[in-house]
Amino acid sequence: MSSGPSYEALSVGDEITPLVKDVNTVNIAMYIATVWLMDRIHFDYPFSVQRRGLPNIVAPGNMACDYYTQLLTDWAGDKGSLRKLSVQFRNFMVPGNTLTCGGRIVGKREQDGDGLVDLELWIRNEDDVMCVPGSATVALPLKKAA
Amino acid sequence: MTTLLDELGWKNHIGTPYAPHTGEPVTARDIRRYALAIDDRNPIFQSAEQARAGRYGALTAPLNYFSWAVGVPGAEKFTSDLGEDGLSSFVGVPEIPRAWDLGWMRGGEEIEFVRPVHEGDRVTVRGEVVDMKEKEGRLGPMIFVTSAFTYTNQDDELLVRHKVTMIATPRKD
Repeated sequence: MSSGPSYEALSVGDEITPLVKDVNTVNIAMYIATVWLMDRIHFDYPFSVQRRGLPNIVAPGNMACDYYTQLLTDWAGDKGSLRKLSVQFRNFMVPGNTLTCGGRIVGKREQDGDGLVDLELWIRNEDDVMCVPGSATVALPLKKAA
Repeated sequence: MTTLLDELGWKNHIGTPYAPHTGEPVTARDIRRYALAIDDRNPIFQSAEQARAGRYGALTAPLNYFSWAVGVPGAEKFTSDLGEDGLSSFVGVPEIPRAWDLGWMRGGEEIEFVRPVHEGDRVTVRGEVVDMKEKEGRLGPMIFVTSAFTYTNQDDELLVRHKVTMIATPRKD
């Protein structure tokens, strides 16, 4: 794990390094099997398309939260923490998608000895369709406290 | 005008608590397989040795694992006891009359992370319905049901505060 960014060096408007995730049938199968999520829309193509009118089988929405926690905890480093995450499920994530998970700093504030960074977040597919917009707050150490 | 929400009488259920549930102890295998599925290579999910030397001092689950540490209450059924769609229950769908006459989708979530889940933890969820509202969507009425949950560990330490908004719409099939 990295040591993370310096709170003092960050500016509103900065974008963080994006995380790219491929959605495929194998990672959906691994996910639903390990958490025991047996909704047919996640694994049964005819059911999803013919009965539910979906474009394909769809990835569990929860996986978007995992992509964001990976994006933000990797960025925050060993001394930073992801405090809050909000997401809205807008468009389905389906096999074949290459998702870009990114974020931009929209605010900075000091609170209780931490540097809090507010971010707006996006998960967009290869056609630039917004799938899961979100927002987050990450706590970073302050230099003067060290 | 009578709305679908009025007709269902669901607003009386704001404040209705969910039955609390406690998961079985989280294993190293649960954590490892979850990390493999989400393709997150952080070593604190995989290696007890590296995790011991790290910030938490113990094998740690990916942050968003918290709800799965309890599991979906009622989901573990024999296959022949499941409904046709494979669903038995869902986090954020209260046990109220006619709930499953409608189709449910996840609308959004707000998660406040306080502590992560570690190997051996037994996680308990408690929660209640905090809001219901109805909007007219392009394809008919949509009911938004928001529930607030807290997740705690075996030492009664707070792990996560979680708000889930589920969207219910009349079934089309």
